[in-house]
Amino acid sequence: MHSVTVNINGKECNAREGSTILMACKELGIDVPTLCYHPDLSIAGNCRVCVVEVEGWKTLVPACVTPITPNMVVRTDSTKVRKTRKLLVELILANHHNNCPECERNGNCELQDLAERYNIRFNRFQTDEKPESSVQVSSAIMRDNSKCIMCTRCVRTCEELQSVAVIKSVGRSSEIHIGTFDDKGLGDVACTQCGQCINHCPTGALYEKDETVPVWAALEDPEKIVIVQTAPAVRVGLEEALGLPIDHHTGKMAAALRRLGFNRVLDTDFSADLTIIEEGHELLFRLKDALVEKKEVPLPMITSCSPGWIKFIEHKHNDLLDNLSTCKSPQQMFGAIAKTYLCDKEGFDPAKIVSVSVMPCTAKKFEKDRPEMNDSGFKDVDYVITTRELARMIKEAGIDFDHLPVEKFDRFMGDSTGAAVIFGATGGVMEAALRTAYEIATGEEIPFKGLNVLPVRGFKGIKEASVLLPDEMAEGWEFLAGVTLKVAVAHGLANADKLLKAVKAGEAEYHFIEIMACPGGCLGGGGQPIPTDMEKRMERMRAIYAEDESLPLRKSHENPEIQLLYAEYLKEPLGHKSHHLLHTKYTKRDRF
Amino acid sequence: MVRNPKEIVTEGISEFGNGRERIMQILTKVNSELSYVPSEAIEAIAEATNVSAAEVYSVVSFYSFFSSKPRGRNIVRLCSTISCAMAGQGDILRSLIDEFGIEPFETTGDGRLTLETTPCIGLCDQAPAMLVNGEPHVKLTPEKACEIVRGLE
Amino acid sequence: MEKKVLLAENQPEFGAGLEKALNMTPADVVYEVRDSGMKGRGGAGFPTGVKWNLAGAASSDVKYVICNADEGEPGTFKDRLLIEKYSERLIEGMAMGGYAIGGSCGIIYLRAEYPYLIPVLERARQNFLDRGLLGKNIRGSGFDFDIEIRPGAGAYVCGEETSLIESLEGKRGEPRNKPPYPVNSGYLDKPTIVNNVETFCAVPHIILNGSEWYTDLGVGDCTGTKLFSVSGDVERPGVYELPMGAPLKDLLELAGAEDIQAVQVGGASGATVPASGINRTLSFKDLPPGGSVIVFDSTINMVDVLENFMDFFVHESCGQCTPCREGNLRLMHAAQDIINGDLCCKACMAPYFELAEAMKISSKCGLGQTSANCFVDIVNNFVELSDECHCGEYRCEGGDE
Repeated sequence: MHSVTVNINGKECNAREGSTILMACKELGIDVPTLCYHPDLSIAGNCRVCVVEVEGWKTLVPACVTPITPNMVVRTDSTKVRKTRKLLVELILANHHNNCPECERNGNCELQDLAERYNIRFNRFQTDEKPESSVQVSSAIMRDNSKCIMCTRCVRTCEELQSVAVIKSVGRSSEIHIGTFDDKGLGDVACTQCGQCINHCPTGALYEKDETVPVWAALEDPEKIVIVQTAPAVRVGLEEALGLPIDHHTGKMAAALRRLGFNRVLDTDFSADLTIIEEGHELLFRLKDALVEKKEVPLPMITSCSPGWIKFIEHKHNDLLDNLSTCKSPQQMFGAIAKTYLCDKEGFDPAKIVSVSVMPCTAKKFEKDRPEMNDSGFKDVDYVITTRELARMIKEAGIDFDHLPVEKFDRFMGDSTGAAVIFGATGGVMEAALRTAYEIATGEEIPFKGLNVLPVRGFKGIKEASVLLPDEMAEGWEFLAGVTLKVAVAHGLANADKLLKAVKAGEAEYHFIEIMACPGGCLGGGGQPIPTDMEKRMERMRAIYAEDESLPLRKSHENPEIQLLYAEYLKEPLGHKSHHLLHTKYTKRDRF
Repeated sequence: MVRNPKEIVTEGISEFGNGRERIMQILTKVNSELSYVPSEAIEAIAEATNVSAAEVYSVVSFYSFFSSKPRGRNIVRLCSTISCAMAGQGDILRSLIDEFGIEPFETTGDGRLTLETTPCIGLCDQAPAMLVNGEPHVKLTPEKACEIVRGLE
Repeated sequence: MEKKVLLAENQPEFGAGLEKALNMTPADVVYEVRDSGMKGRGGAGFPTGVKWNLAGAASSDVKYVICNADEGEPGTFKDRLLIEKYSERLIEGMAMGGYAIGGSCGIIYLRAEYPYLIPVLERARQNFLDRGLLGKNIRGSGFDFDIEIRPGAGAYVCGEETSLIESLEGKRGEPRNKPPYPVNSGYLDKPTIVNNVETFCAVPHIILNGSEWYTDLGVGDCTGTKLFSVSGDVERPGVYELPMGAPLKDLLELAGAEDIQAVQVGGASGATVPASGINRTLSFKDLPPGGSVIVFDSTINMVDVLENFMDFFVHESCGQCTPCREGNLRLMHAAQDIINGDLCCKACMAPYFELAEAMKISSKCGLGQTSANCFVDIVNNFVELSDECHCGEYRCEGGDE
């Protein structure tokens, strides 16, 4: 695209031909308001608040849609533009249940910002009653159409990023609303509960099901032993959610959790390392079964850490359920181990344990309620709160996060390695698994510089890598000598869908696939701070790999607490106890 | 004999094809045979055309002539736009409501009749007008309209 | 006053225009149509030849010729008449369009309100197939063309060409963002022309008689003839064909309008003309010549008419864009407030005029851009607003600046 001269607000400037007026204005630092626009999504052009004046046009034009042409004369600041935008915001507000102070998105709402910006003190078009609140509940996601402004960002998210497509515009004109098939609840359709719709909603029409209330209650109950785990991606999002300058201090997060009153502050990173031990062995044994025993083994093996992804495959590709690793996700492994092993070690009564999980994810709320997740003899995980909910609790408790000391996680389930930290980024589970599996099978470190398996990193939708195993293998794994291990990684369910279709069509062959439901992996999860866009995802990803590099231990099998867990309790990977506590099975669900 | 919605969809697909662009034709077929588009048909169409059921439901909900809720065997659509309104549509509507005991967009208890009002049906030169199962009836009076509707099976 | 071409008693044989076109180059057919100056008869008035030229220039192995038979503008029924009587002419015009742009697939998008016209069109198609005027290698020219009749399902907005295309693709009839335009990327992303029934019906006449003949039919620099559907308070409602650019009063005389309070020209989205305006002309430069003309006599309360129209738009907005979805609803409430005496003064009304203007300049498609016309016209011409506010509503004081 070559540069052309345009005139914006009376000033000659250069812009790229074919880019939209909105993009050109962004690059030139000219502010144009938007609502239905989101950089992750296709252009809808339906809210109209980005309208601008272009010489030669009778009507205003939407800046998000209209391409730059040479010598275009644009005004973003005329009275006509300003008055029209203001009027449009009034129109939207007239049909919006604006109970801002009681809204989930109070202080972080694009519509509220516009109402403030356009100085709306009185709505001239409030010709009827405002819509009544109408909250629809599912395991993790709440919808309140009375706050919906029909920008369709959620619809495009669900379809374009996730290829789930369970929400659509339903009805027409003033009856129009976002709905599902037969207007059923999200829990009754093939929704994956990934929560990407929440992250892409400009208002409070979509939000997570709050679980802070029972967590506060548990914290206040002296009878309870409240333990907490925090997922890898939470530590790179929490400060954002608190509105603080970002230095990604895991130690401050641990301190904050302690000040909230959690009795044990532990880490999902510990169980991420545990996942790698189990899943790495599972892969190696599947390969052994296939190559040595010549058994029909479901390959490629596919990761099972991401509950949104699990629900997706259960709905849409349930002919491939046997390909899923039987490993529970790190959250659920943590839950099962905490109410067994940890209780043994600490002398806790598991009945008194309240196990809280802090996740960058909404689907984890659904996962913890799956009926099979009670192998500890109790509900393995009791409550799941998102990064956003934790930030709210920290604020409500009046904790001065910025000035907290740096503290450590508690013992037995608090140690982790760099391999666990990178679970938070797409490709991370694959990289961590390769670091360990390669070393188990060959006795050598994986031959990537600095242990960094770069081909599986980054934001490309589908990534591939192959690792040639050497001729010299460790004892027991000689059958793998000279084998090229082929792996693939997909993030965002639309990419997952594409990858699975290619696998089913025989167009691509892999031994191992990592899939994360959310774009960018957990760091871009549906429970992460809003906004989440490419810029934020990149920032969080940089932080994750920086943390990996900074840690002394970067391979899961080197985690001393994991070694202790196997030595004292589990005995061996894929052993009897592991099988009981750490592995699971999946359920076929309806396609729609 | 009311056919199974899936059977109608299958027939529609063999008639029109299973491309996404055939959805309107298949929906029209189901809608005219059953007076509405049941959920089973929506699922079958979604399956066959490889789109989500939400998508097909969304399409059904957009068009006035489609309904995802059951309707009567006969659908009377009385034009309510200006030329018909000026020619006495209001009186006709009231007589229909009185005689058949249903408001617009309701169905009689015996499932015989659904009464609807509709925007302009392009019969303004012969107002007031209505469509009965797609057939035009024009220059109506309250008596004439009621008589036509009375005669429906 | 009447000048019958499309509706003439003695018409050229069906197919004669197509046969003549097949002996011309496609480009010459396009130029002839372009030189005729014909503007689209659906109402938007885009020059047909220009549209065809653009589609002809687009490079693609597949192109589509779509007939917009979804006339839904209140008071319009001219296309119904054309299809009832001249469906072969329509198919002929579409085939000529196909030949001109290099497309062999024709689709007639027929509104759901006209299911009884499907057999009529099917018969016409069969007739053309039997005579070798449709199908493969038409009259040995190497040109293939066939048509398919596809149903709408009751959505006025599908008269907008990109909504129509969306609907044909099995989607909600929501207008697309432009660019791209259908001539480059239309049905199934292929170059597509969408023209009104009347437009296609005129093409064979233009090719048979020449563009100059066609331009001479109009008045002044308007070209051709135009069909008008007349209804309301007239003696002889029906379809009339007049030269484009004829005065409104000619049409009213033909239809037998005696007592005239107002005339709605161009349907609900057109202009509401008070009796004083009957000398205005029916042309793209003056009164929108979309085709619908509704006469209101002095017994009619024009605010009731406004409410009926706004109710129509509230029902028919696709709901996609803010100004149309929310704006029409607010204007309908305003109309109801006028009826109830709750909107009393100029200050109370001012925001709604601002709203009408915003809808016109910020809506996504023609529906929202024109639906407030009747509000502005009727309030300006038929509603008395006092200078002083009686309602004491806060809104009189709290408005924008």
